[in-house]
Amino acid sequence: MIRVRSLRKIYRVGEEEIHALRGVDLDIGKNEMVAVMGASGSGKSTLMNIIGCLDQPTDGSYELDGRRVAQMSEAALAVVRNEKIGFVFQSFELLARQTALENVELPLIYSREVGLTAHERTRRALAALERVKLSDRVTHRPNQLSGGQKQRVAIARAILNHPAILMADEPTGNLDSVTTQEVMRIFQQLHAEGQTVLIVTHENDVAAFCQRVIRLRDGLVLSDLSIEQDLAGQQRR
Amino acid sequence: MIFSPYFYVQAIKLALSQIWANRKRSLLTSLGIIVGVASTTSVIAALSGLKANVLSEFESFGANRLYVFPDRPDDKPRNLYPREKIRIKPWEVVEIQASCPSLRAITPVTEFGVSAASEQKELEGVTVVGIWPDWHEAENRNVIAGRIFNRIDEESARQVCLLNQAAIDELRLPAEAVGSHILLDGRRFLVVGIIETLQSKMFGDGGNTAEIFIPFSLAMKLQSSDVFIRVTALARSTELSEEARSEITQTMRRIRGIHPGDSDTFQVVAIDQYIEQFKSLAAGITAIAAGIVGISLLVGGIGIMNIMLVSVSERTREIGLRKAVGATPAAIMMQFLLEAMVLCLAGGLVGVLLGKIFAIGLTMIPGVQLQHADVPLWAVLLSFAFSAIVGLGFGFFPALKAARLDPIEALRHE
Ligand SMILES: Nc1ncnc2c1ncn2[C@@H]1O[C@H](COP(=O)(O)OP(=O)(O)OP(=O)(O)O)[C@@H](O)[C@H]1O
Ligand SMILES: [Mg+2]
Repeated sequence: MIRVRSLRKIYRVGEEEIHALRGVDLDIGKNEMVAVMGASGSGKSTLMNIIGCLDQPTDGSYELDGRRVAQMSEAALAVVRNEKIGFVFQSFELLARQTALENVELPLIYSREVGLTAHERTRRALAALERVKLSDRVTHRPNQLSGGQKQRVAIARAILNHPAILMADEPTGNLDSVTTQEVMRIFQQLHAEGQTVLIVTHENDVAAFCQRVIRLRDGLVLSDLSIEQDLAGQQRR
Repeated sequence: MIFSPYFYVQAIKLALSQIWANRKRSLLTSLGIIVGVASTTSVIAALSGLKANVLSEFESFGANRLYVFPDRPDDKPRNLYPREKIRIKPWEVVEIQASCPSLRAITPVTEFGVSAASEQKELEGVTVVGIWPDWHEAENRNVIAGRIFNRIDEESARQVCLLNQAAIDELRLPAEAVGSHILLDGRRFLVVGIIETLQSKMFGDGGNTAEIFIPFSLAMKLQSSDVFIRVTALARSTELSEEARSEITQTMRRIRGIHPGDSDTFQVVAIDQYIEQFKSLAAGITAIAAGIVGISLLVGGIGIMNIMLVSVSERTREIGLRKAVGATPAAIMMQFLLEAMVLCLAGGLVGVLLGKIFAIGLTMIPGVQLQHADVPLWAVLLSFAFSAIVGLGFGFFPALKAARLDPIEALRHE
């Protein structure tokens, strides 16, 4: 599903060069649920943005679903994002003036699919809202929803086009522990339904919902273990 | 780049909701466009009303009417063309009548001042007009009582006259004036007919001036010297008026022996020329109005650009999100262009409506003859086209800025 080889990312700030990724190798298979952890500044977001086709690596190769994504044009990357990737952000990123349903429908505006009827669009968006258990909040606007509900709307938007991978960069960073559980159970259930999931987190409670934990340090993979092995290693320290 | 109809529907919906959400700002921003479009459509409406009036006036006046005047060539010394030489003589009019088949009617006209008197009243400085019987057809004015002049009146220079209602009133003649006598410079004239009042509102005085007509031959006899004769003629149809013009010109040149290359010593004027002149004048004013709208739209466009730049920076995160869910740079570009265009078109719409209201106002002002003032469809379409182009032109830079935003940086914005 995802195949990353010696991925490098160098940011240039004036004269200074910041090596955010220094050669990352990574394989994620279909229907895995993976947590990416590591200290602040270790390169988690940088890696996620590249895997999410929001950014291009400085060097290295990246294959998504058998397609070489690195070095694609901006417009081609946009199409990949639309069809293959679902991204969930820490701060939800819902459009304030639109209803939950309209927010979920958003990716369809930019879809390449021709001849989608209004009925079909609504049907798909409702199905996505159903999967995140928000069928009763369809016409609510973001300011009428709780944090956990907002994030579930964002998840529904991300899974609307049945992406190859559902990615989330600290999806519970703005949530309390109760709603964190609520949101993570949604991820877990989607995973159970066959969805490939990749989540960046600082919290072990969140990682505990995953099967596999990848730890980064200074732009390199420090460890890549199953959740049990990773937890055992954590406790030993 | 092609987008789905759904994309356009959503983009326009979004644009409208943006305008509505920021309605005060939107109104202020599009004020330049509103004022520009409103003022131009108003000018065009007023002009179209004026044009409709003038043209119908010309039509009622007779678009197939021609006039011949003596005329001294501008490019020649005066002394080569004394008045005596360029003056129109009666026999020349007879000759034109004989040689111009495109003419239906022709009459010489000569005017001079007299003192007029009835038993009740004496008037000084009244204008008397000498005409042929053909004059009624040439000027399209008939008698409403009595008769017109006949050939005997003309050939034997009988002392008969035609009056209009104003003359009857001023001379305090009985209502049934036919058969009465009046004195013109002491000569006794029999009133043989009452002539209908001039219909034109815009030209002439609407029939308030006393008019007295006498046979042309007599009018020539009564004037001592320096007789000024002009000619009124009527072409068989409006289409033939140009033909008639050249027939008259050729005849006059022939009988006056003007060599090829030498200037005419007369002038033939057709009413339809005036119509053309008026039309081109109106077109000129319209063009100036269009130029003014161009400038005000330019000013309005700068406002639009400014507000679109504000909008792009306010909505940076939203742009980042749209890109993250698959909007291509072209899609973002198109969306902001549409928004600028919708904003301008909304301004254009308000402007056109204001212009329309102004036009309706014009038609209701009493005394101002602009009953036909209206904003023509082409001006409405042109206003919208201009507004859309301004949106496109001045929305381009902000839209490009939005399209070029980096999605990650946009999502990290503030
Ligand atoms: N746009 C950028 N320009 C310059 N440097 C950047 C940029 N983005 C990230 N960096 C740097 O790259 C390194 C990795 O950043 P990244 O955001 O990937 O860290 P992270 O692991 O997500 O951290 P956190 O847990 O705080 O979110 C950091 O040193 C950061 O300062
Ligand atoms: Mg991060």
